[in-house]
Amino acid sequence: MHPNNGFYGEFGGQFTPETLIPALDELEGAFNEFKKSRDNESELARYLKYFAGRPTPVYKAENLSKKYGVTIYLKREDLLHTGAHKINNALGQAMLTRFMGKKRIIAETGAGQHGVATATVAALFGLDCAIYMGSVDAERQMPNVKKMKLLGAGVNLVDTGLKTLKDAVSASLKDWVANVTDTHYLIGSAVGPHPFPEIVSYFQSVIGTESREHFQSLGFMPDYVIACVGGGSNAIGIFQAFLDTGTRLIGIEAGGRSLDPGENSATLARGKKGIFQGTLTYLLQNDNFQIEDVHSVSAGLDYPGVGPQHSWLRDTGRVEYSHVFDKSALHAFRELTRLEGIIPALESSHALAYVLDNSSLFHGKNVLVNLSGRGDKDFGIVEKYNLEEL
Amino acid sequence: MRGIYILGGYPDRESFKKRFLAVAETGYDFIEVGLPFNDPVADGPVIAGAHNRVINNGTTIQSIINDIIDLKNISIKKYIMTYSNIIYSYGIDAFSKKLDGYIDGLIIADLPNRMIGFFYGRGLKIPIVPFATLETRNSDLDSIIHSKSDFIYFVGIRGITGSKADLTSKELLEKIKMLRAVTDKKIIIGFGIKSPEDAAAALIAGDGFVVGTESVSRQEDPVKFERYIKSLMVASKN
Repeated sequence: MHPNNGFYGEFGGQFTPETLIPALDELEGAFNEFKKSRDNESELARYLKYFAGRPTPVYKAENLSKKYGVTIYLKREDLLHTGAHKINNALGQAMLTRFMGKKRIIAETGAGQHGVATATVAALFGLDCAIYMGSVDAERQMPNVKKMKLLGAGVNLVDTGLKTLKDAVSASLKDWVANVTDTHYLIGSAVGPHPFPEIVSYFQSVIGTESREHFQSLGFMPDYVIACVGGGSNAIGIFQAFLDTGTRLIGIEAGGRSLDPGENSATLARGKKGIFQGTLTYLLQNDNFQIEDVHSVSAGLDYPGVGPQHSWLRDTGRVEYSHVFDKSALHAFRELTRLEGIIPALESSHALAYVLDNSSLFHGKNVLVNLSGRGDKDFGIVEKYNLEEL
Repeated sequence: MRGIYILGGYPDRESFKKRFLAVAETGYDFIEVGLPFNDPVADGPVIAGAHNRVINNGTTIQSIINDIIDLKNISIKKYIMTYSNIIYSYGIDAFSKKLDGYIDGLIIADLPNRMIGFFYGRGLKIPIVPFATLETRNSDLDSIIHSKSDFIYFVGIRGITGSKADLTSKELLEKIKMLRAVTDKKIIIGFGIKSPEDAAAALIAGDGFVVGTESVSRQEDPVKFERYIKSLMVASKN
């Protein structure tokens, strides 16, 4: 998926303060050089294999499949070092940072997975690191806050707005404008101004490439590929490899408590086109053109925007988007934990929940779910619910 | 050129209109009226906090636009400063038709020069003011000098509103020199102007200044506000 002048159809662009434009140009130049160099590609491949633990398996979840009458495969990104797909992009962008000669990286984080991945690559590459995290998220994902600090990153709690992911992105952009000369903003999702969506998609495309190879070895393609969508990095990472196949692709957003305004982050279900945090995309906004409050039980999905590639894929019809509610996600979390012995992140639980909730629709089909992360970070949230009642 | 930024609808619609009149009566050349947005990535805590207060009070963008139109006979150049989403989501064409003839230009904090054509191409007739920054390269000059605007907004700092600029830094003076070599447009320095001394220094380094955080922080209090804007005017005339 290549943008045309920074746009995917009508979505994307560079809606940032002018001060950042030279840095975005420098980043685009570095990225284009990076892709041309076989040495860079092989160094990244080495890190992905020996440091992060790639390739990750595609696991056929027999017990779950039997109970629900659907053949469910899981792409096990939860097995990666640092516990989620975020490390794929963090390693790639750390190499870009080194190439540009910058000494400091900053990042936003919602669930803390991207913050941990960024703090990890900062330790590996010897970079200074500052993480911005909403204070509400920090409280509900405390294990990750502790990990980031252990890794040597400064964790800045953000107390503006709803004190969650959107506010962490804003705080990161503000830091970047002030420190653009020596700092790279290692953005964690396929959002933000061009060329970030393209870069993040590129570094996450390994998820889809490995998945496709696995199914090629089985001699068929999955009927469906399903991934959760907040900003959309794990989804774009897996979908890309299947765009030219007959596989149906479904992105699942957080339906939260309900589809009422402020109760969810189902951007593609409810949003209108708008311009937010650097990009033109679907956006949850009210009739006074202000960003709507969002909610999700998972701290990685409660984002009022979505990556511009997803807006485009939705409008072209190539990818379908739907949503599941908090309760369904928690139910899927319990099911996978109890039936397969795999504790999934609450974000990834949304993708699985869509299959379990609609098992009659998927009956007898081969469904690949991107298990983008593991769930040990979510104990603090999950223990507030009675899983036995779900 | 001397300018003051105030936020539309802040702390309420009537007070805003009174502060607007005070700016004009004090003899300023131009006023920038902010339209609030609740993700203002270029703004520090003072202006961002004021944006949120206006929005949470229930004051609508539409009502602020109507207030600006009501002030049409006040003799001062008027600019709207806001964020891309406000204009895009209002409807670029509708926004332009509503305000064309009532304001002199638009300053869009998250719209870099290379994206200005995006708005013109979708029906905007009001000139957009281009930015120059401490990061401006030679290759950026074309988009600045060929703009439809009557001035260039020079962002005096790397950072957000409310920080402090160094108006005598070599870096800043060299960037201004680089602009002077290619354009006769007025260079107005914004971001980082706080004190009467800053205002005077901005008139030496460039062709004018605009103050935002310091005016918004006094916008609730007519006495402090007027004393402040007068102090800048006096200092910058000496």
